[in-house]
Amino acid sequence: MCGITALFAYGSAAPPVNPVEVERITQRMFARGPDAGGIWLSADARVGLGSRRLAIIDLHDEASQPLTDAEGDLTIVFNGEIYNHRELRARLEKRGATFRTTSDTEVLLQLYRHYGGREMVELVRGMFAFAIWDAREREMFVARDPYGIKPLFYADDGRTIRIASQVKALLAGDAISRTRDPAGIAGFFLLGSVPEPFTTYDSIRAVEAGTAFYVNESGRSDPWRYASIASVLEYAESQRHIARLVPPRVLLRELVTESIDYHLVSDVPVGAFLSAGIDSTTLVALAKAPIHTVTILFDAFRNGEFNETREADEFAQQRHAPHTTRIVTRDEFVSDMPKIFEAMDQPTIDGVNTWFVSKAAAEQKLKVALSGIGGDELFGSYTSFSRIPRMVAAVHTAQRVPLGSRALSGALATMRRTNPKTKRITTYGSTYGGAYLVQRGLFMPEELPSIVGDDVAHEGLQRLSIVDHIANVLTPAPSTPYGRVAALEASLYMRNQLLRDTDWASMAHSLEVRTPLVDASLLRQLAPVIVEHGQHCKYEFANAPEPPLPQSIRARHKTGFVTPLKEWMDLPPDGTSTRIRQWSRIVFEHFR
Amino acid sequence: MRILLLCTDAFGGHGGIALYTRDLVAALAAHEECEEVVVVPRVIRREPEPLPPKVTFLTESADGIASYTRTIARLRGEKFDLTICGHVNLLPAARVLTPHPVLFIYGIEAWQPRYRAKPFLDSCGAVVSISDITLRRFRDWSSFNCRSYLLPNAIHLDEYSVVPKDGGRRVLMTLGRLAGKERYKGFDEVLDNLRALPNDVIYVIAGEGEDAPRLRRKAKDLGVSDRVVFTGFVREEEKAALYASADVYVMPSRGEGFGFVLLEAMACGIPTIASKHDGGREALRDGLLGTLVDPTSPAEIRAAIWDALEFGKRARPDGLEYFAFDRFVERTRAIIDDVMRGKQ
Repeated sequence: MCGITALFAYGSAAPPVNPVEVERITQRMFARGPDAGGIWLSADARVGLGSRRLAIIDLHDEASQPLTDAEGDLTIVFNGEIYNHRELRARLEKRGATFRTTSDTEVLLQLYRHYGGREMVELVRGMFAFAIWDAREREMFVARDPYGIKPLFYADDGRTIRIASQVKALLAGDAISRTRDPAGIAGFFLLGSVPEPFTTYDSIRAVEAGTAFYVNESGRSDPWRYASIASVLEYAESQRHIARLVPPRVLLRELVTESIDYHLVSDVPVGAFLSAGIDSTTLVALAKAPIHTVTILFDAFRNGEFNETREADEFAQQRHAPHTTRIVTRDEFVSDMPKIFEAMDQPTIDGVNTWFVSKAAAEQKLKVALSGIGGDELFGSYTSFSRIPRMVAAVHTAQRVPLGSRALSGALATMRRTNPKTKRITTYGSTYGGAYLVQRGLFMPEELPSIVGDDVAHEGLQRLSIVDHIANVLTPAPSTPYGRVAALEASLYMRNQLLRDTDWASMAHSLEVRTPLVDASLLRQLAPVIVEHGQHCKYEFANAPEPPLPQSIRARHKTGFVTPLKEWMDLPPDGTSTRIRQWSRIVFEHFR
Repeated sequence: MRILLLCTDAFGGHGGIALYTRDLVAALAAHEECEEVVVVPRVIRREPEPLPPKVTFLTESADGIASYTRTIARLRGEKFDLTICGHVNLLPAARVLTPHPVLFIYGIEAWQPRYRAKPFLDSCGAVVSISDITLRRFRDWSSFNCRSYLLPNAIHLDEYSVVPKDGGRRVLMTLGRLAGKERYKGFDEVLDNLRALPNDVIYVIAGEGEDAPRLRRKAKDLGVSDRVVFTGFVREEEKAALYASADVYVMPSRGEGFGFVLLEAMACGIPTIASKHDGGREALRDGLLGTLVDPTSPAEIRAAIWDALEFGKRARPDGLEYFAFDRFVERTRAIIDDVMRGKQ
């Protein structure tokens, strides 16, 4: 886990790479990698690479980055972990590859050498964002993992491409325009996080999850998508026969245990975030050895349904897991807020909870923690899995009946006082893209002018084209409602919100968070099962450990990982129970 | 010691379970304390192979359910020291004959709950599984928690030889039943990758089954029908020539209890690729004997094929003798001795 920088002055008219700029960008990411840092500049100064390293696998100095391979013509900066690096190393050694380190980073270099960029990205199991400079071909290969667990952004001015793990790091180089992008701003207010590839800056784009591209003297190639969640789920619909070979509980146990085993590959101790929910408890239960678990409690929730500490503590005791419960007080919450905004890379309405649980894990000297993120998207725990298909069906039905839409609007009018989005159901709810916007939306497009002004709203909405943007992740579209919502949630909410927030909030504490349920290999193997059994998988997942999870956890009402923003930030009413719309305005003030 | 063995098919049978049962019968008969092995098949599909010494093969039981039932009823009057149930579906019949039969399990027949068999499982004296994956999956639904043993497939190494390949196009091969319902052998996964492999690489799909028309259509749709050969049914005596023509044996399956054909391919010295996620892992001894792949990863399958074509050696892998028939006999003897000690 690291912060990485890559600059390539590919245009003949571009000035050489300025090592000071590489250093500034890299140093802005110090917290991502406090263990080591380095800068590498090509002899002709056309390429500059930088890295801050959090050492997890192969702690020796020789494995520090930027890393050049034994042959001397491939150099890499890499952020992430390759969980199957030992298998890949064995395969490469059979092909004659030689290694100077035991790091996963060097495995990537040899994979590139032996299989090429297009094949290598599909061979690795893990989370990654990297850039490889190939001096033989004078080109740079850039790739990001299938789910987008690890961030990667770039700015390409047509002569020089600048790449870094964080938007704020790119800006720290002082060579990039800070012109705002209305599309990114509109996206934030519509969805609560900036949807990739947009950022709030016109000049900076995200390398999209599951894509890769080359850069050579002609510039940046079109990126190609080598992995797509929607296509896995769509293909799985023809694979249902596989799901019928083995009871789902058994397959879930085998495959998730395998994923956990891979995610425990580390040369430092690994802990786990623990709530009283099914996903994190099942992960801990399926791990072959007890894991140090960490639970937090916001003091405001001491009495109420959001207090999960008792169940978590009991569960950890049952599993003989070392356990830490950390109380967060209002004073700490408020005093950390400036640091939170400093660490927040792009505006987002979430991540504060992850900040505090990561802080608690780091206090326990943990460098790596497992998280149950991804279970809700795999096993259909969100209300969106039932509401979106119902919404689409209801609007379709209403549209087919004379005056049906008007009648539906009238029926929804009774709910308008509690939820401002409800009245837009008839406007947007006829497609999965539109229904997703209503379900997940923070504000509706019609509300944006009053928040960001007419000009920004108009241009942003036009460029973003939000409903099409959402619908694009359904390419190819799974045919089942469950498959569609699963693809939408994993490709949008989880990618742009949960995973991105987890990255900045954990890396600020130099903690690597690993997500065994967010794993492209696991998804491919489980997809026939989740397509066949749908939300029933959650029940089966809870039964997967031996013994199954205790009834107190299985029967617990899903509460989510809630932050006491309303209680502690004195937010005025905004029509939502959490006052999250007000919170978004406060967040955005820090990104103006 | 008199042993009674109820089985689906054995001598005169087709397929993996029949072959395994024939080896089992031979191994049981080789036990020095064994006086007789009485084999009761449900079906006989062709002329039975010669029987090992001490084996009585009851052909009358294979003439339909009524004759099978009559045979079981007749055997109730006979005394056996050990009764083996060669298939989970036969457990009710075995239970009629003995309170504590020893059950043999193989693959997908034991992976899903068998509700008709379940009431009889608690009385089983022991369970013998062809692989660890089958045993784990069986235990999950059966809650069987008594004595269990692993007895993997055997390979008669002396019946196979490593024959040099005489040039020509490079050949990938998978041998197996083209089952329309389960479709777990991995034919689709290899076909999906064929276009990405060099043009001189062809794929031989060896076997017959109701899925053949779909696979032919798929090959055509993928534009590789000129690079795919469907052999149809393969007789035992044709196998040697078939293996001799192959450069790589590849089976990225998801439903194999073990995968005997993997042992055959390796015995012929063919670089072998199998699945991480079913019994193929055990047939390849966790990758010691060949390459394991995630069957859902096209890139892994492609890379394994490239590596095998480029770097694979035509030789029996070290460690294959672990599955040699004499080792199978030793394991069988150890299991029988332990079961008999338990009975005492």
